[in-house]
Amino acid sequence: MTSSETFHVVTTELVVGAFSVAGLSFTLCLLVHFGVLKQPSWKTMLDNVAHFTLAFGLAATPFAILSGLSSSPGEGMNSPILVNKMFLSMTGFGFALGCLIGRLRLGNKVWSNTKSTAVHASAGLAACGSMLLTASAGGTFTRGESLLDLFNLPYEHVLLFPVFVSLTALLLGTAMLAIGWRRMKSISSIH
Amino acid sequence: MQVKSRIHTVLILSLLLFCSAFGAAEPGGNGDSIRDMQCGGACHGDASINESSSALLSLSSPDTIYQGIPTTITLTATNLETSSTRLIGLFLLTDMTGHSDTPQDAGWEILSDSNGGTANYIELTLSPGQNETSISWVLRSSSLDPSTFYAAIHHGGGSTSPFFGSSADGLEVTPEPVPENLPRLAADFIPPTKRILDMPTELTVLTEYTESIQFEWKTENGLVQTSEINSSGEGSWVASLPAALQPTTIQWRVTLQGEGPDQTTPWFTLAAEQAGWEISENAVYLQAFALLFMTAGLVILLQTRFSSSRTISKYDQTPTVIEALETASSPVVLPVESTESSLAPLPEGGLPNGWTEQQWEWYGHDYLAGKYGGGAE
Repeated sequence: MTSSETFHVVTTELVVGAFSVAGLSFTLCLLVHFGVLKQPSWKTMLDNVAHFTLAFGLAATPFAILSGLSSSPGEGMNSPILVNKMFLSMTGFGFALGCLIGRLRLGNKVWSNTKSTAVHASAGLAACGSMLLTASAGGTFTRGESLLDLFNLPYEHVLLFPVFVSLTALLLGTAMLAIGWRRMKSISSIH
Repeated sequence: MQVKSRIHTVLILSLLLFCSAFGAAEPGGNGDSIRDMQCGGACHGDASINESSSALLSLSSPDTIYQGIPTTITLTATNLETSSTRLIGLFLLTDMTGHSDTPQDAGWEILSDSNGGTANYIELTLSPGQNETSISWVLRSSSLDPSTFYAAIHHGGGSTSPFFGSSADGLEVTPEPVPENLPRLAADFIPPTKRILDMPTELTVLTEYTESIQFEWKTENGLVQTSEINSSGEGSWVASLPAALQPTTIQWRVTLQGEGPDQTTPWFTLAAEQAGWEISENAVYLQAFALLFMTAGLVILLQTRFSSSRTISKYDQTPTVIEALETASSPVVLPVESTESSLAPLPEGGLPNGWTEQQWEWYGHDYLAGKYGGGAE
């Protein structure tokens, strides 16, 4: 029987690995789009790699979050680092979800102009960054040190909104998702 | 050119492989926990990269151990050599196979360790110049089956290699049945290992076959003191300990008197720590989901806004229709462009190097205009 600690290590390695490759691919996509990297033939490949790895990382993220909760010492969220990990991973999850839904619904049009490309690649990179920060917080929690310690990130402080603010944000986010979904439907139905 | 780039690739990969040696093991430790000898596959347990520790480990225990009665197993480690962090990790094991080798696997319950926890693997930071140490675990057997205990050590050293060592011989222990009427701690008594800083501690001790009891405790400097302990019911006793002002450990034990011979328990370790950090979990989960929906919604909304600002479909003839409606008085005849005519004409020599037909379909005009893919060159 695999312990939750081991399972958490496995799933986090999958998540971090997948999101890192996705982040690298999004960066290269940006460089190709802006002509810094003069390899237009790579764009399709990089686009595929970025989104497949993002989808894979996204699929593994819930397992990482749940196994992380069950493997943390003590009961529940007894450390500010754990809370920040939860916030960061869910934010990364949101960025990745938005990025993937956009790519699935809009197809190649996400790369159609500079603004859209910038938004799409930034979302992918933000997802990657959030997940790497989550992993860094995990390292700080278990080992007391992390590679990103040189930035003195305030993992010990939690920015917790009042419930009504969170509730409003949740409703606003849901509304934005619904509006975006409808607009995507109308855009994609033209073709 | 290709050979040069391949050499570069090989050099970079080699560099990355060499770098992995510097990152081997975890010089900052892993924290006290229940761990097997290989520490879940840590580098110290990997025979291909580890080095043998020069440390000498020996285990000892009381001559008589009763089933269900807490007993102490002491590990003495000498000839210690460590890395600059002076951190060592010590294991108490019941097997040397590397799996299912913790005391729990052999039916023993760890009630207390030297660091104020209940782990079979504990980490210590040695003082400068210190090359030996002694630690102990308090355990309780649930059966009469004999067990063999082993010790192991993980640490760093002068080189970057992780070091591993283990006790040469095992310590054989055979629990005996408890004599009738022996004063003892209650079978279901689990000694506390933590207490809160800045708060006096009321320690409840549960006993069986005990008529009177003495309570002793000592600080880290070894000064033994006695405290009053009062009966609070049948087989229940309460002792008061002064508040701890620093996150330190104390050890306590009781001497039990009854019809049978007097019994002195092992020293139990009690660590003082900050009060637990608390937060409303519902608020955390709500905010986490709010962040998820907000970020996903924001990305999708921006994406649709910017993607729809310039429709690039070759089938979209809306501007043509509008223009025709505005200018024509006669029945409108819409010019229908074939798919091919909306495509950018191929340059001399066909598709640019590395381009696919699909890319040309989308970016061909930009290429010819010199805006994308080096077309202006």
